[in-house]
Amino acid sequence: MHSIPCNFSVFGYPVISSSMKEIKVKDASTLCTLLPDGEPHIQQSVFVGEEQRSSSISVKSTPELEKKYVHCVYDAIAPHFSSTRFAKWPKVSAFLESLPTGSLILDAGCGNGKYLGLNSSCYFIGCDISAPLIKICADKGHEVLVADAVNLPYRTNFGDAAISIAVLHHLSTENRRKKAIEELVRVIKKGGLVLITVWAVEQEDKSLLTKWTPLTEKYVEEWIGPGSPRVRGPSAFTLESIPETEENGLGGHTKDSRENTENMHQSMCLTPENKDDSLVSKDGSNQQEYFVPWHLPYHRAEVSGASAGALANGLAKKDDKKGAVVYNRYYHVFGEGELERLVSGMDNAVIIDKFYDKSNWCIILEKTLLGLKHLQDKDTSPSLI
Amino acid sequence: MRLLTHNMLSSNIKGVTNGFPLRIEVEKVVEKEVEINHDFLRNIFPKIDWKAFSDASRIMGYVELPEEAPEPSVLESDLEFLRKFHHALLELHLEEGALVCPETGRKFPVNKGIPNMLLHEDEV
Repeated sequence: MHSIPCNFSVFGYPVISSSMKEIKVKDASTLCTLLPDGEPHIQQSVFVGEEQRSSSISVKSTPELEKKYVHCVYDAIAPHFSSTRFAKWPKVSAFLESLPTGSLILDAGCGNGKYLGLNSSCYFIGCDISAPLIKICADKGHEVLVADAVNLPYRTNFGDAAISIAVLHHLSTENRRKKAIEELVRVIKKGGLVLITVWAVEQEDKSLLTKWTPLTEKYVEEWIGPGSPRVRGPSAFTLESIPETEENGLGGHTKDSRENTENMHQSMCLTPENKDDSLVSKDGSNQQEYFVPWHLPYHRAEVSGASAGALANGLAKKDDKKGAVVYNRYYHVFGEGELERLVSGMDNAVIIDKFYDKSNWCIILEKTLLGLKHLQDKDTSPSLI
Repeated sequence: MRLLTHNMLSSNIKGVTNGFPLRIEVEKVVEKEVEINHDFLRNIFPKIDWKAFSDASRIMGYVELPEEAPEPSVLESDLEFLRKFHHALLELHLEEGALVCPETGRKFPVNKGIPNMLLHEDEV
């Protein structure tokens, strides 16, 4: 790891510390520029630490990385995205069907509302940060609102259960991911359950990894002088043309449900100890930050109108060969045990199940009375702590 | 937005100590029938802040709910009450209007039945 002093403003945040310090890499949302010539594959090495950020910036404040590469993208691709998201993941369905009749279920990050109403004996309320996706849910008759998963506008202890399906991997800092989990637990009653699923570092289809772009210092905001960071867009990448789209591939949400069943069987046999699956960058360190492409066909891009702006400011690129506008979605993929680590510090939730399924890490939490967790910890196996 | 949702929503603006209940400003109310589920009503009833719910229903134009919360035993057998509870809870929709933070006066818009509860940068 290089030690390079950093003292600059990234992503529009004010300079926090003027001292030259070597600080451990932590969060993708505070990438800093290094760009030594001729060393394109050096892992980013110096980041402004969480501790420094949190003093002046709320964990609830959305980093630019997420605004550009999560929010804007989903807003632009909403109808197309929704058209590809209809296969119900059996593990999620099973969880929802297992809940007691009459439960109030909260889906935070509900996307196109795929799971809303899945259990007809229960009542669902969905929220998502994307207004276009929420509009799609509302048009189907669901009860939904536009809200931020990191700051749910719900009273404490109200719901019976909550789900977060393929959401947390779009949050770019550990503190924001923790906060989102805390919110899921906060809004449900004691004894209530939370199901969380996230994309795994350990992908079953390793060929997909070749289509993702790891975040390296090539995509960073540059410091060119005091007080004036210049943003560099993805056009600065040497982005190889992407042979395959991600519309259906990842996380097991494929069109062919027969395929799903087979994938599920295979994943049950997969032992998490198989480290060969993990993503490793060229210099050997673990890579978890990625841009995953989305190909929006031209005819869809024209209808939505958002793409003209995205193309103009470099957030998207045209691929004439495929007749599509290519967007990048930011992902922090999770490593084995990472979800458990995020939860380990919580004093009002215990893990009651955890599993790997179709390239996703999944966890089920139960909200406990304060303090009860310490009693229950004695009974859990060491691997959970 | 149904009144069930309204009964759960709270202003989460930085610095607000009690953001519940949000005051409702009505521009358009719509009624949409939905099948009654007694189990659900009995499960939900203890969670409901009755005063907020009853006040909200009046603002939405429905005056049938008692101002005082009935005893839970009423839900076991009083079908008429269950019907009114169901109607106010799930069949009245605020289509257009706003939800107002009780402490700051900040308005969260409701358009096409969808509340937008996103905060501005300076509110987090």
